[in-house]
Amino acid sequence: MRVLVWFTVAALCAHAEHRLHALGVTTKGWVVGAALLPSGLFVKRADGAWANEGYRHPLLTAVAWIDGSPETLFLAAGDGVIRIDAQGRWRVLTDETVTELQDISAGAGGVLAFGHTTGFRVSEDRGATWREISAGLPRRYGKAVRLDRLRKGRVVIGTENGFYVSNNLGGTWQLAGAAGFQAMRVEQSPHDASLWLAVTQKGGIFRSTDGGQTFEATPRDAAAGRNLYDIAFDPADARRIAVCGWGPGVLVSEDGGITWQARNQGLPRPDVWSVAFDPDKPGRLYAGVHEEALYVSEDAGKTWRADGLPGSIILKMAFVPAGGAR
Amino acid sequence: MKRLASLALAAALAWQSAAAQDYQQRRRQLIEKMARVEDAKLHYAGIAARLWLREGVPAAERRLRELLEGGISGDMFWMFPMTAIAYLDRGQLSEPARALIRKSWKAYYPFRGDTENHWLLYYTSMYLMAQMWPEMGGEGWFNGKSSKENMEEARRWIESWVKLTTTKGQGEYDCTHYIGVYLLPLSYLAAWAEEPRMKKQASMMIEWITADFAAEDLDGIYVGAHARTDDRQVVEKWRGVSADFAWLLFGQVKETPPFGGYSIFYALADGPEPPEILRRIATDRSRPYTHLERKRTRNRWRFQDELHGQVYKTTYMTKDYAVGSDQGGALQPVQQHSWDVTWRVDDPEGVHNTLFSLHPYSGMVELEEYFTFSPDFGTEAVWRSKTTYDSPDKLLGGSPYERIAQSEDAVIALYDIPPGTRFPHINGFFSKDLEQVEEDSSGWIFCRGGRTWIAYRPLAPYVWKPIEGGGRRLFSPYLKNGTVVQAAGMDEYATLDSFRKAVRALPLKFALEPAPRVEFRTLRGKTIEFTYGQTPRIDGKPLDYAGWPAFGGPFLHGRAGEPRLEMTHGGVRRVLDFRALTVREEKMAGAK
Repeated sequence: MRVLVWFTVAALCAHAEHRLHALGVTTKGWVVGAALLPSGLFVKRADGAWANEGYRHPLLTAVAWIDGSPETLFLAAGDGVIRIDAQGRWRVLTDETVTELQDISAGAGGVLAFGHTTGFRVSEDRGATWREISAGLPRRYGKAVRLDRLRKGRVVIGTENGFYVSNNLGGTWQLAGAAGFQAMRVEQSPHDASLWLAVTQKGGIFRSTDGGQTFEATPRDAAAGRNLYDIAFDPADARRIAVCGWGPGVLVSEDGGITWQARNQGLPRPDVWSVAFDPDKPGRLYAGVHEEALYVSEDAGKTWRADGLPGSIILKMAFVPAGGAR
Repeated sequence: MKRLASLALAAALAWQSAAAQDYQQRRRQLIEKMARVEDAKLHYAGIAARLWLREGVPAAERRLRELLEGGISGDMFWMFPMTAIAYLDRGQLSEPARALIRKSWKAYYPFRGDTENHWLLYYTSMYLMAQMWPEMGGEGWFNGKSSKENMEEARRWIESWVKLTTTKGQGEYDCTHYIGVYLLPLSYLAAWAEEPRMKKQASMMIEWITADFAAEDLDGIYVGAHARTDDRQVVEKWRGVSADFAWLLFGQVKETPPFGGYSIFYALADGPEPPEILRRIATDRSRPYTHLERKRTRNRWRFQDELHGQVYKTTYMTKDYAVGSDQGGALQPVQQHSWDVTWRVDDPEGVHNTLFSLHPYSGMVELEEYFTFSPDFGTEAVWRSKTTYDSPDKLLGGSPYERIAQSEDAVIALYDIPPGTRFPHINGFFSKDLEQVEEDSSGWIFCRGGRTWIAYRPLAPYVWKPIEGGGRRLFSPYLKNGTVVQAAGMDEYATLDSFRKAVRALPLKFALEPAPRVEFRTLRGKTIEFTYGQTPRIDGKPLDYAGWPAFGGPFLHGRAGEPRLEMTHGGVRRVLDFRALTVREEKMAGAK
């Protein structure tokens, strides 16, 4: 009996150690004033079908979970931080003082941070209380935020005037790069904690090799003058990174973000909101194509096929460890 | 003498009572009309109307269940009718229906939205429903918060909005449509809030917003610059929610469909009749006057150091027409209306009783400043609901490349459009209802709207283009551009010839390089000197933007930064003091 249980668990784990979560809204065919089409949090089930979990919500922009507690998700939403617990219960953790959250991150020590329209906030008690950390920033529009996954206190944020870094959880800030450009997203490598990548509106891709302290522009040919929306590091390959945007579609680097190649063959249009690598299937890459569908590639973007969520705008995807009961 | 005074007082009281009766009659008329919808077509407003009348309730309840079980949508636009239904129930609905209402606040997740009217509707509904179910825990609410938490949050937001509005001005100011979604929730709070402070504050805010409208009310038409109006009402000035309220509150214009249905909810919530002084301010146009207001922009998320910019309004009112403006610039996204001349007509339905020009701006700078839209999809996201936003022939919206100066009934709009701007031209709206339109050899265009003469001087060459639905668009494809307008009444100039002669005699100097510049002596003898990008000067003195009042004119008085509004008319003063939360009305010293 014990052997049977072990095999069952092992089989389940082998099947999927992570579940793909997608945040978005179905806009194609939607008429203003009508009931929302499937929107909010989508979870890819074991059979490959998508489930619109919980409430339909028109504006979920990012998702995070505290390391070791993937059963509880924290969503950046148009109306605050929403916590979804292991039983699938929703709870808004913030109040009337924040609106239209743009990003959320969980980092070392279980710290949470989010960016909203007038700044950035952090919580050191799993979202029960939040404090503003925007003092000292010249402009506060909180577009992107990432807490260092290893070093508590380090946070990199994206504003309308580039990226800033703080090593004391917002006590002080220094400009890290991309000055003059609207930041769009920043991510830390899961392989090398000192490697960070950031993308911007019309300013191209920026790379940091010193733990987010400074960002340098990378060759911009493929994305010159365009808007880039998302970044994905491949958990199976330390040198492979994808970014995406409107016009460039999906760009993939095989050398740690130094050079980039367009990988749009088979995509219906080169306007892509989000990308994510499957940590359980090396080479599998997802792309949210504007109002078309979610697309999947089994060869890191060389070929693509549609994989559900038709007519959607998927703003962010995440592979959440499948350990939770939810 | 005493007897005479008593008689006068009695007459005044009788008149006031008759006016009040009229208001109650109009209110009931509106509710009855809404309740008379056939059972199968009843929507939330009709259901609420039947509950108010205590008539036809079983069918209304059946329909309510159908609506709630058939799928809910609309966010805060679902919340506010449901709140009215819950409060108008008063024991008439069955327990299962009541339970269904309660369950719907858990089963459906209404989004809070992204504008002040959304938030006021949302938080008013949350406040009142939490008040109704005070012991409900987080498990009973869509957002997981308890009634206590929801009520406290709602109270905080409403209080902060009242403070912001009464000290810095309304953000969505003077909206011809959205005025309804401010008066409506405030009427709910005034009627149904149990906390005396909330109740009082709401009833005072109703007066504040009604007074704001009354001073710029031209026989039921909301004139002057607006933070938001819409494509139809920007030309057919009567066609909107503000006209509903002008009819309901003051008996002006004529009964409307009603637009948007907001006035019905004000009526259902026993929305108060304005005090007599407000009715007089709304209707007394015996003497022309200039009225000033200071407002604020909507929240500016990016590109600015301050969250709110200042808006300086000038409105000149007469019995026949109004000329109104703001200072120009992109003060609000998408639906701003910066200046016009509007003339009075006996029956405004179908009449385009206005004239103005604008630069048809469309761009992501504006959208990213005021919204969180992504740069690539923002414009399309807007025009999917605001269909003319990205149209070169549009007649709605502000522009960062327009600056405006006004003195009484003369207004100057200057344009300095950078090369490469989308839609590099200006549009002048010339209504199908203008008469005696003549292009004079002097460069002025003379015309008449109702009993109003208008002289319009384009500062750059133009051509005429037809407008769908009637009228002509003055199209001027010059980046440095401008419009000078002077209005006057037929009481002053009996004929077009006499008006033309007077205007042609007015000194006008202008240049378009290096920046548009005008010096114009108005019909009222004032000299306006105005250079694009500089503070306008009237008779040599720069306009005092720093000292611009929250309200300034013969009827409304208020200093910027002070939560206090003083209304005066006919020897009566009425003061709303939000710091003390008092309303005081008194006879003014020296008044007869």
